[in-house]
Amino acid sequence: MSLHPIAHTTFVIERELPGSVRHAFRFWSDPVLKERWTGCHAEWTVIEEAFDFRPGGKEIKRWRTPEGQELAFQAFYLDVVPDRRIIYAYEMSFGGVRLSASLVTVELTARDELTQMKVTEQAVFLTGDGAIAERIEGTEEGFDRLAALVAAEASDAA
Amino acid sequence: MLAEPLDRMFLALADPLRRGMVEHLSSGPATVKQLAAPSGMRLPSAVKHLKVLEVGGIVVSQKVGRTRTFRIKPDALRTIADWARNREAAWNSAFDRLAAAMLEAPEVEIEP
Repeated sequence: MSLHPIAHTTFVIERELPGSVRHAFRFWSDPVLKERWTGCHAEWTVIEEAFDFRPGGKEIKRWRTPEGQELAFQAFYLDVVPDRRIIYAYEMSFGGVRLSASLVTVELTARDELTQMKVTEQAVFLTGDGAIAERIEGTEEGFDRLAALVAAEASDAA
Repeated sequence: MLAEPLDRMFLALADPLRRGMVEHLSSGPATVKQLAAPSGMRLPSAVKHLKVLEVGGIVVSQKVGRTRTFRIKPDALRTIADWARNREAAWNSAFDRLAAAMLEAPEVEIEP
C-alpha cells in the first residue's frame, strides 16, 4: 500500500522537580546531564551524536541495535529562554522509516525552591509500511528498560 | 495480524471530515443527517465516509425504522490511545530519572 496514514495526538505532562528552575534547565541544556536521564539503551551502539542547544541548533542521535537495525532521533531547537522555556521539533526513525514527528514545548516555572515543569508534545504518528508494529515493539522494549533502571535506582536510594 | 486492522483504522481516520465525524460521535450517537450538517456535506457523501469508518472498525450503526444511527464502537480507539499512552509512559519514566538525577547533582551557583 502506498498510503501512509497519519494520526495526531497531543499530551501534556506536568511534574514537580526537586530543585531550582536554573538547576532543572541544565538537565535539558547540558549534554552530559541530559544523558543521565535520557540515555537508557546500554546495548545500542551510538553511531552519530550531535548536540547544539540553541535556537536553530540540532540534536542528533543515531544508534545501531544488536540486531543491526538503525534508530535515529533528530531534534531542531526553535526557541530557548534560559530557565524558562524550550521549544523543539523532533523526529524518530527506525530502519530508515520515519515513525513520528513532534513539536515539544517545555515550560519551567519556579515554585518556592522547586520547579514546576509542563511538557506538551504535539505528535504526528506515521503508520505506513508496518512501522507501527515496530514502533510499538520498540517503545515497549525501551519502556521495560527504563522501568528496570528506575527500579534499580530506587533500590539504590533505599 | 496486527498491521491490517490498524492500516484500516488509520486510513479511516486519515481524512479530516471523518475525524470530525468521530469527534461528533464521541459526544454521543447521531444520525447521518446530524453528522453531515456541520461540514455541509451531502448525504450520499456522508454515507460513504461513515461506511469507511464502519469498515475501519471505528463506528457501528443501527437502523431503527427509517433512521440509521451511528455510534462509536467501544474500544475502537484503544490502539491509538495505547500508542500515545506508551510515549507518555516513556516520558514519565524519563522524568522520574530526571528528578532523581537533579537530587544527585549539586545546584551550581553562578557568580554574579
